[in-house]
Amino acid sequence: MAPDGTRALRAATFVLMAIAHVAVEVSSNPAGLLSWFGVSFGICLFATAMLVSRYVPFSANQPHLPRWATLVLALLLIAPLGLEPLLRRVTGNGQPLELQMVSGVRVLGVGLAALARWAPCLQLAGVVSLFLLLFVVAMGAQTPIPWLLAAYTVVGSLWLMLAYSSRVRFTAASETTPGMATAVERVRLRFPAWEMTILVLLTVAALCLTVIGPKRVTIALAEMMPTSGGTGKTDPFARYGIGDGPEEVAGDNARAAGMVETDMMIEDNKNALLDAINDMYGPPHRPPQKLQRMVAGGIAEIIKMHGKLPQSARPSRDFDTSRKGPKSDKKLDSHKARGVIEVEGRTPLHVRLVAYESYDPDTASWIEGHKPASRLIEAEGGDWMRLMQPKASVGWYAKDERHRLKVADLKTNLVPTPTLLTRFRIQRVDRPDYYEWNYDGVLALAGRTSTPPGVVVSTECRTLDPSRLPASAIAAVGTSGDSALLLDEVPDALHRQIAQIARNWAGDRPRGWPQIEAVLNTLRSEYTLDRAATAPPDHPAPVVWFLVESRRGPDYLFATAAALLLRALDYPTRVCLGYYAAPEAYDPKTAHTPVRTTDLHTWPEVLLCDRQWLVIEPTPGYEVLGPRLPWSERAWLAVQWLGLWAWRHSVALTIAVLAAVVITWKRHGILDWLLVWLWRLFPGRSWREVVLGCLWILERRHRRQRRCRPSHQTLAAWVASLNGGASEDRELAELVWLGEWAAYGPDLPTSLAPAEIRTHCQRVLQTWTLSRLNQPTRRGRVA
Amino acid sequence: MTMTRTQPGKDARLVEARPIQQLRHVLNTALRGKPEVIEYVLACLLARGHILLEDKPGLGKTTLAKALAAAVGGRFARVQCTPDLLPGDITGFSVFNQKTREFEFQPGPVFADVLLADEINRTTPRTQSALLEAMAERQVTVDNVRHPLSETFFVLATQNPIEHHGTYPLPEAQLDRFAMKLSIGYPDRQSQRELLATAVGGGAFHPEVTATILHPGQLYQLQQQVAGIFVAPAVQDYLIDLGEQTRIHPRITLGLSPRGLLIWQRVAQAWAFLKGRPFVTPDDVQAVAEPILAVRLGVEAAPAAVICEILSAVAVPLYPK
Repeated sequence: MAPDGTRALRAATFVLMAIAHVAVEVSSNPAGLLSWFGVSFGICLFATAMLVSRYVPFSANQPHLPRWATLVLALLLIAPLGLEPLLRRVTGNGQPLELQMVSGVRVLGVGLAALARWAPCLQLAGVVSLFLLLFVVAMGAQTPIPWLLAAYTVVGSLWLMLAYSSRVRFTAASETTPGMATAVERVRLRFPAWEMTILVLLTVAALCLTVIGPKRVTIALAEMMPTSGGTGKTDPFARYGIGDGPEEVAGDNARAAGMVETDMMIEDNKNALLDAINDMYGPPHRPPQKLQRMVAGGIAEIIKMHGKLPQSARPSRDFDTSRKGPKSDKKLDSHKARGVIEVEGRTPLHVRLVAYESYDPDTASWIEGHKPASRLIEAEGGDWMRLMQPKASVGWYAKDERHRLKVADLKTNLVPTPTLLTRFRIQRVDRPDYYEWNYDGVLALAGRTSTPPGVVVSTECRTLDPSRLPASAIAAVGTSGDSALLLDEVPDALHRQIAQIARNWAGDRPRGWPQIEAVLNTLRSEYTLDRAATAPPDHPAPVVWFLVESRRGPDYLFATAAALLLRALDYPTRVCLGYYAAPEAYDPKTAHTPVRTTDLHTWPEVLLCDRQWLVIEPTPGYEVLGPRLPWSERAWLAVQWLGLWAWRHSVALTIAVLAAVVITWKRHGILDWLLVWLWRLFPGRSWREVVLGCLWILERRHRRQRRCRPSHQTLAAWVASLNGGASEDRELAELVWLGEWAAYGPDLPTSLAPAEIRTHCQRVLQTWTLSRLNQPTRRGRVA
Repeated sequence: MTMTRTQPGKDARLVEARPIQQLRHVLNTALRGKPEVIEYVLACLLARGHILLEDKPGLGKTTLAKALAAAVGGRFARVQCTPDLLPGDITGFSVFNQKTREFEFQPGPVFADVLLADEINRTTPRTQSALLEAMAERQVTVDNVRHPLSETFFVLATQNPIEHHGTYPLPEAQLDRFAMKLSIGYPDRQSQRELLATAVGGGAFHPEVTATILHPGQLYQLQQQVAGIFVAPAVQDYLIDLGEQTRIHPRITLGLSPRGLLIWQRVAQAWAFLKGRPFVTPDDVQAVAEPILAVRLGVEAAPAAVICEILSAVAVPLYPK
């Protein structure tokens, strides 16, 4: 029981928890900054806790924590785990498992601080804050952490002094005030055998589950170890750790093998470190004559370049001493990548390979565009390259979107980038002349035949909502600034027919995006994507066949048709071939979207007045990356999704809700019914267990009526209090007699048979039912 | 269907202990309106314990003792304890026989079956101590010679709680040898009316009061029967828990001794016997707790409340652990 005068102590507890809260927030962010969500959430949390602390009903006569408070604390502990799926749905971002658990502990600590009027809560809050600080010290190395640690030390010392002084005050008051000593409750200390047994059993169960349980469980349990950082195999939001994330790790994870940003990209035929090891421990490795690869530099070189040794290059890295020499000359590419590119970031994404500018009606094919004359690339700090924009950035772009495209198996020298690119980086490839433009908007490595597997391209690209574009944003024909471009060319043989269709579809819509949208919507809604559909070989114009006759075709016909239609409406348009990273292909296990060779796609693009190419999608089923939605819209979408899901599963949901309501409403009756049946099925090995089991059920029924037997009350006295001085119930009296005999008596008299005892117990349970005890009219009799 | 037995909670063998019912009737006749006191006295008698009656003058302490002595059929002796009483006046003493030229032991009143030590706190502690051995071991040692007492030796001592001048409070060692301390209290109105009606004409004499109920040796048999009443280990654990609770209670300066624990169990057995039950329940333990603990616990004030706290602090065993 917390004595008076602990207000300062409780305030100090709040301060301790606040420091721990901030420290956890800081350590959760690699940059060591506080997020606005974390700050606002923390303010709300602490404000609520202080209100609860101020107005929570507390009685000095009730030294034990109320049951509702225990329930609330338990809910606080598991709340972050329960809310995480919803937060992931709304924000698209999530926390690793260990941070969710720490969040639960953090909220629990604030809850304990709010209930610090009870001494156990006060002490537990202090312990929780200390645990959080230890977690932060172990996990984080951000700059503010030492300062927070110092602040915690100061406040923690103050907290200890206050706790000590309050205890001393209480003791002194007890000694000086007559009668106070009588208030001291003497508690008999005992060894917590039950608690220890449960703890040991839980530990053994966890170990058994880890050793012999499913692999998924093992991995999940391993991820609960904060220092592991998670493997990322079960949780896409698991944090990076040793052997994980952008650092080096073995395995088929796209976030790992080969995608090493800390290594230098060199081109040589010399043996790498791995080859030297092969030479020592196995047959000599014979590298191919011409090899492009990522090899790790020497330690001295790495230290020179990075300042300190990166995690992946530390000497403590594991080396399997049981390693056997290779039986054959294993090639580095023996594990095939699952795709050509792995995309980390928001999808859908269009990655250009080839840009086509003019259409040849004779061969019904597009002709590649020309290579831009200028590089339009300038270097920034940190290996970043910025694209020089010919015009000042205009206001219709949303916030830049970041991606990381990891080259797995590209056969060309393409540098895969999203459209509307603004910045990009390949680490250590830090000069603009390392890059060139294959086409306008198609970046490539200069002077190389292919991009080495393992290159990670970090990009920033713009996004925009075309419906908000002003009419002037679409470039007009002839304003491209390059006379060589033939972006408005429509073959004469097709021009009349195409222009007629385009005008029909555009109608009287104003120039600009409404006309483009009308064309796209018509194609997307009235035409069918059919990859197997091909125009007859003798048809003079496949695009006309597609538009007029078949109304179905592959994506390149959609792109061609859209481009020619838009050109007929005097919009500078081109067609691009490239890779399409589909959102449906997102792999939550690796948090990447693999792009395979089968993801080749053709799409048209419209030139904007700032010389950026805007991707448009006439093909049904394909989308264009739009701006990231604001919180309100995402929340609304989440609500819509939730409603839709509920509607789809309305029958099952209704049944589940009704069942839950009925079970909750009738929970006491159901539980009692189950207990009685359990008692009937497994009454016990002896007549004593039969009688005592019956008595336990009967006592439990009365507990529901708040007439349970106090622990110090005897059975006979309890039953007598139930009768309340009324005439003695014969059945109950006989059950008491049996119960006393079962609990304290010697062997049963021979005049009584066990079957008779069981029958009598059943009769009592049938007579003294829950419903009978619930009836107020009979309360006078039973109470 | 009703279970086939004579009466709920009663054992057939014990119910037929007719002398007990007669004894109860006689004592209730002698001391009207106090059946609960009679039950305690009977329990104490059957448990081979001794009773300290503490109450005001004229409430029937001596009457009860005389009726009890007459009913059990043994020798009755009465000692009026005064400050000049000597230990030898109780235990007896050796005198020199001129004829045989030897010392002969002259037994004192302690060699009776029922000894009434009236106003025991008026005699000196030296004389009070003469009863220590007799009460605990049922023997006296005089001149290094051990003299066994009756197997049914029973001390019924009285003391006046309101007079303190010229009295010597009983030491804890003496108190611990009593099984229980009882207060009779004033009778109710009806009992007083009956008492007055009886006294008219024929005086206070009532033939039933002086009747002998038990045959020689019958009390000892009953006491042996009581000692055989079954006590479950759970009940013994309950007794131990209660005893430990008396030792840690902040308002008790002297907790229950092992001898007190043994007496408690024996009296609980007697209580179960009186209820016709062949085993002891926690009800029996609780029923006799107050008179047993009141005599031996060092409680400064409100012993009943303290005993109630002790009983409330220990859980009653019902289900197996």
